[in-house]
Amino acid sequence: MRRREFIQGMFAVSAVAITPTTVLAKEDKAKKKGVNDMSFEDALKAITGGKEVKESKKIKFTAPEIAENGAVVPIKVEVDHPMEENNYVKAIHILNTANGNARCADVMLTPANGRGYFSTRIKLSKTQDVVAVVALSDGTFIKASSSVKVTIGGCG
Amino acid sequence: MAEKRKSMIKIKPKKYKVGDIVKVDFIVIHPMDTGMKKDKKTGKIIPAHYIDSITFSFDGKPFTKMTVWESVSTNPYFSINYKVTGKGKITVDYTDNMGEKNSKSKKVKPKG
Repeated sequence: MRRREFIQGMFAVSAVAITPTTVLAKEDKAKKKGVNDMSFEDALKAITGGKEVKESKKIKFTAPEIAENGAVVPIKVEVDHPMEENNYVKAIHILNTANGNARCADVMLTPANGRGYFSTRIKLSKTQDVVAVVALSDGTFIKASSSVKVTIGGCG
Repeated sequence: MAEKRKSMIKIKPKKYKVGDIVKVDFIVIHPMDTGMKKDKKTGKIIPAHYIDSITFSFDGKPFTKMTVWESVSTNPYFSINYKVTGKGKITVDYTDNMGEKNSKSKKVKPKG
């Protein structure tokens, strides 16, 4: 009798031990989809409204070729464009191509900035392209991109 | 979570005149959690907590607005340019997705 009880007890414990882990794994999968999840194409569409985005040499986009730590990747965008009352850089958008949420930062500039410049540090989950989309005041969009090799991902 | 966050505004270079274009750096101590990381001790997922909007203004007039997502690094750093027009105060207001509101100011003192 004792042995039977013991074995039954074993089964009960193992059953209890298994169920929470499976539930947790399911939760994980659900949570991995973040609130702001957006693919690169969707993000680009949201910014440009389907307009054509031209590759341009006006943008000087600086990003490291190899990032040892994906949690801190310094990037710098400089736009060679006048900043006058009617002709200025309206916005600089930083996008990534492989993170959960493709949008990093939107910067709305005004002529008071004097120059189209923005610098920050971003997180990258894996090796991917980082794209800077620049909106000009006349309604056109230009872009520049740079590929960053990530050794250790920085998104958790 | 209404704790006061440490933040800093730097104007580079230190000496500037009216009409110069200076660099305005803004750094804030903030976790910028993505909502994908697990707490190593408890095994629970840390909820997303990140700055989502930043406004740079000069004497109350906003000149740069930013919308930011969780892909920006922990303790974020933002750098923009600003054309000095005279004496005044640069204020940076920032809010995060949990409704925390803070601001930081720095005086602009052009020489010559």
